[in-house]
Amino acid sequence: MKRRLQRIATSLILLGALLVLVFPIYWLVATSLKSNAELYASVPTLLPQNPTLEPYYSVLVDRNGSKLLVNSLVAGVCSTALAITIALALCYPITRLPTSPRVRGFVLGWSMSLRFLPPVALVIPWLIIIRALGLYNELPALMIVYTVMNLPFAIWMIKGFLDEIPMETEQAALIDGATRFQAFTKVILPLSKTGILAAGIIVLAFDWAEFPFALVLTATDQAMTFPVGVQGLVTQFEIIWNDMAAAGVIAIAIPLVLMVAARKYVMSGLTFGVVRDT
Amino acid sequence: MVVAAIPIAMAFVRALLTVDGRFAGPDNFTRILSNPELAGSIRATLVYAVIVVPTEVLVGLGLATLVHRTVRRGWMRGLIYILASIPIVIPMIAVGVTFRLIYAADYGLLNVVLGGSGKGQILWLSDPILAMLAVASVDVWQWTPFVFLVLFAGFQTVHHEAVEAAEVDGAGPWARFRHIELPYLRPLLVLVVFFRLADVMWVFDHVYVLTGGGPGTTTQFLSLFMYKVAFRFDQMGPASALSAMVMVVMTVVYFAINRYLPKESAR
Repeated sequence: MKRRLQRIATSLILLGALLVLVFPIYWLVATSLKSNAELYASVPTLLPQNPTLEPYYSVLVDRNGSKLLVNSLVAGVCSTALAITIALALCYPITRLPTSPRVRGFVLGWSMSLRFLPPVALVIPWLIIIRALGLYNELPALMIVYTVMNLPFAIWMIKGFLDEIPMETEQAALIDGATRFQAFTKVILPLSKTGILAAGIIVLAFDWAEFPFALVLTATDQAMTFPVGVQGLVTQFEIIWNDMAAAGVIAIAIPLVLMVAARKYVMSGLTFGVVRDT
Repeated sequence: MVVAAIPIAMAFVRALLTVDGRFAGPDNFTRILSNPELAGSIRATLVYAVIVVPTEVLVGLGLATLVHRTVRRGWMRGLIYILASIPIVIPMIAVGVTFRLIYAADYGLLNVVLGGSGKGQILWLSDPILAMLAVASVDVWQWTPFVFLVLFAGFQTVHHEAVEAAEVDGAGPWARFRHIELPYLRPLLVLVVFFRLADVMWVFDHVYVLTGGGPGTTTQFLSLFMYKVAFRFDQMGPASALSAMVMVVMTVVYFAINRYLPKESAR
């Protein structure tokens, strides 16, 4: 009897937790599918009565959200590629070549300590630099900042994945007459493919979500990113709730799709490498 | 590496200059330190941290223990994994928007459910205490799953033999947790608390869309205060001085805590 009660209690707690977790997102999606008429019904309905994609059209076309979407993706993809390439270039020597422990310790310690610097505290100096470079309200500004900000994380992740490749595999290639570069491209890269993919997806998700830098470094549709656009819908005088919700759904959908598609690889990176395959 | 050092150096350089580029001495520092809103923003940030971090760690730990002990089926664990990882990957701005739909006084779901309309409305985002709690609840919603995931993974590293041996010796659930599982989790707990503290001191995004620092300055955390000084009042010098001081403080804290962090595995 006691056992059963315990069981029911734990099920209830877990169900409650799941509901709290999922319901806000459900409500966001439901609101985004409501028409303007339904929006102002005196009692909001749990299910959209006449689901419509109008709010999405309004956000993407009427409000030019598609331009911001493209800006976000261009800035994100370019800086992700850059960050991962630089991280590989830095991690290869410290994991594969005989480097002094001091150099190694310096690179790793340096990147770890940078992770704890609050990004918001760096917004102002970055703005000054970007203005001096004449890149204010230009996409390359975001690419530079995002690359630098994500480098520490990319280094830690990629170092972890390179460490897992046994030295012998590479040495075998070298003995067979491959050059260092060949060994890198033919042996190391294919073996660390999933790790690189995981690091890339997480960095891309970070770039996609980034807000304070985009808010400060851009001013118009030319370089503004999607999260800044979402924010613009909120701080207006009158909030158009369904448009705001649709923008929120779009902002959520992209990282979510990436995550679910690559969850096997991504999990360990999000949780300090504690979570391995499940 | 050098590139990453430039903005840090720039904060210090700008902090020492006047608007037209002359050496200002400690002027910017005294101006920011004598700003009447600074103390309030530090206090608000600390209150936020004190509400949010313990809640996230305790609830996350509780749920991790519960799931670890009661959910056995593989697919259910997989499902919980995916669901718990959702809040971590979605943009904080979108989370802010989501909760705006719930907490807004006129259209918010919460007030509709509670049946208040007109005068009976509860002003979740414009009452000083409720606004703080509302903003904090959003943080808890987004980051408790993160704590849960890390600690749940930590549970999987606990040796079965040790647990079984303890059960044979008649250890109850609490003793099992306290003496066997907790030692395994301790380094992860330190790491999680440190990460959360570092983030929580600088929350910006969701607060910006939910309350914008208001009502008044009750949720004007350090980050929002710095933003306001720099961009509303256009005082780049004092804002840079604050930025520089923050970096010094964070660096000191980092080196003080560094040796307690688990090495290598800490990504």
